[in-house]
Amino acid sequence: MALKRRATILAALSAAATILILLWKPSVINNGLQQAGLYAAIAIPMGLVLGIVHIVNLAHGEFMMVAAYATYFACRATGMDPLLAVLPAAAVTAAFGWVVFQLTIKRALKAPELNQLILTFGIAIALTQAVNILFTSQTFKLQLDYVSASIDIGEDTFPVWSYVFVAFAILYAVGLKLFLTRTTIGKAALAVGQNPKGAAIVGIDVNRVYGLVFALALALVGAMGALFLTKQSIFPSVGSPYTMKSFCLVAVAGIGNIPGILGASLLLGISEQVLRGFRDTRAWADIVFFVLIIAVILGRSIKWRKS
Amino acid sequence: MRKALALLAIALIAIPAFAQTGDTIKIGGIWTLSDITGKQGSAAALLAVEEINKSGGVNGKMLELIIADDEGKADKAAAAVEKLATVDKVEAFIGGMASGAEVGKIPAYAKYNKVVVATGAASSAIVEKALGPSPGSDYYFHLHPWDYNQGASYAEGWDAIQKKFPSIKIKKIFLAYEEGAFGKSSWDATKLLFGADKRYTIDGAPFKSALLGGGDYSAVLEAAKDFKPDLFLWAGYDADALPLLEQSKAIKFTPKIYLGAPPGWPIGFGSSKLSKNVMLYGMWSPSMNDTNPASKKFYDAYVKKYREEPATYFALLAYDAVKILADGIKLAGTTETAALVKALEATKYASPLGETITFKPSNIIKHQGITRQKILQWQNGFQEVLWPFEAATAAPVFPFPAWK
Repeated sequence: MALKRRATILAALSAAATILILLWKPSVINNGLQQAGLYAAIAIPMGLVLGIVHIVNLAHGEFMMVAAYATYFACRATGMDPLLAVLPAAAVTAAFGWVVFQLTIKRALKAPELNQLILTFGIAIALTQAVNILFTSQTFKLQLDYVSASIDIGEDTFPVWSYVFVAFAILYAVGLKLFLTRTTIGKAALAVGQNPKGAAIVGIDVNRVYGLVFALALALVGAMGALFLTKQSIFPSVGSPYTMKSFCLVAVAGIGNIPGILGASLLLGISEQVLRGFRDTRAWADIVFFVLIIAVILGRSIKWRKS
Repeated sequence: MRKALALLAIALIAIPAFAQTGDTIKIGGIWTLSDITGKQGSAAALLAVEEINKSGGVNGKMLELIIADDEGKADKAAAAVEKLATVDKVEAFIGGMASGAEVGKIPAYAKYNKVVVATGAASSAIVEKALGPSPGSDYYFHLHPWDYNQGASYAEGWDAIQKKFPSIKIKKIFLAYEEGAFGKSSWDATKLLFGADKRYTIDGAPFKSALLGGGDYSAVLEAAKDFKPDLFLWAGYDADALPLLEQSKAIKFTPKIYLGAPPGWPIGFGSSKLSKNVMLYGMWSPSMNDTNPASKKFYDAYVKKYREEPATYFALLAYDAVKILADGIKLAGTTETAALVKALEATKYASPLGETITFKPSNIIKHQGITRQKILQWQNGFQEVLWPFEAATAAPVFPFPAWK
């Protein structure tokens, strides 16, 4: 009952804050939503591997970077639009992820989690350096007219292209929810995540499930690599900040809570934009991210102690 | 024991003598090799060495350039100096780009007290301050302008442009600057040089560069749009160039002058429709080949050797550094620091950058080379020089066109 009341108060406060921000500066909500969409669409695949099958993938952003590079050169060579490359990029990255999983991560699954951390951190460095050696740190960007799409409301102009990230984030969250609850392999993934030994005893091919979930997550990251390319410049270290942000968003949402990543991303995206909207708080926008994770972890610890 | 000590003393005296009497003069070049400035800078320096050696070397000796990578980091840069000085036993140093890496080299440079012809590092607060005044920093010859030199030359340039082209009137300037040392020092210099005498109204806001995990410029662009500047200037990196323009277009932000000041531009920027009439700060562009024979000679030689166009003025600075150093060694007849410093002080070098380089005191150090940068504009896919007028290759196109 108390919980329900608290949730109602929180929802009312959020609604009031949103209305106030909308009246004060509507662009903050518009930009915050789109930024949140980008964060969520990149973080949700990490939420899948970390939350469901408990693989700590510190090369998450780097896989997206590799997908973005592959898409860039494919588009340059063929004249293809990166939007058309979303599915091929997903397929290629999934295949690449499957190979990386079979060659490396599979061998560290039973080892302590620290080994996985070090292994995937090593993969991240290897991918960044390989791209650096092949293409230098020179940035690449496709120039696409549609990314400057906007709508005019009154005297204000609102950019809208990045809502594509919001659409993908929702698609990912809903799609994964259905995958995990309605498909055999999804249910098997949940079982493996909860109790790998038990899952093996009942006949689930644990390694295959791990590999499939990892490849699926990389397919989603690969698709995001192609989409990311529409909006941003790419260079070897472009993925690494997104690994960190995704990791924190997954932690804030709660491990295994994929829809919660949408909420955490929304909170982060809007908070950043609110702070950037004020002259004196612009420089603080980056700190939101750290404050958020510290607050959530502390809050959870206090709650755990009380219970 | 005494005999051993005597032998050791003889050896210690003899080693430097042998190093100087070899068949080659070794120069250490330190750049960030994964970056286009380092990649093309080191390539251009090798080209200069090749040209010098083909024409007989320096005082009968061949030049040898030993290249090291600083990875853009201060600790790696310091290690590179140590390695070049102790393992390779180089007799002088060239190179450098980012101030953050350059500052790491300074204690090691000071320790070995060999001549340095630096091609980068604009931050006076970080690098010039670390070098300190003469005579302690006399070994250091700084080719690239300091940030305050750059700011002063832009102020001078805009005054001259407004005088010559009365339709161009600038009252309000907005600077969008990346949050790091480069952007912050640009903001400080802009406030000081443009805002001091109240002739201009200045405003600015920081943004997180895409290079550092940013890439969302909506807040800074909206602040700029609200300010309605005549001149919108952004100080960031090449990764910011196209996304900034795309996001400006999305919010229909059209200042009269749209100007970027990254150290380099992304590959193919000129072929983008968005590059049309964007202005920039720089030192050189291939369009100068039509008016400057030294520029054309460098350009042709570089393209012939590497089959690519020099895309950054850091290539020319590195090329110049080798040529200036070689001329100095020729004049001094030695690489011994005091004599070489004296010879380099007499430098009068006609650079392909379109000016004659001499060394004069700057705010702190004694040997500053170039102090002026250029104002350029992307016109029909090419960088054209607008100012200084003696190096101009085109007239300014004004105002920046409205978005379609």
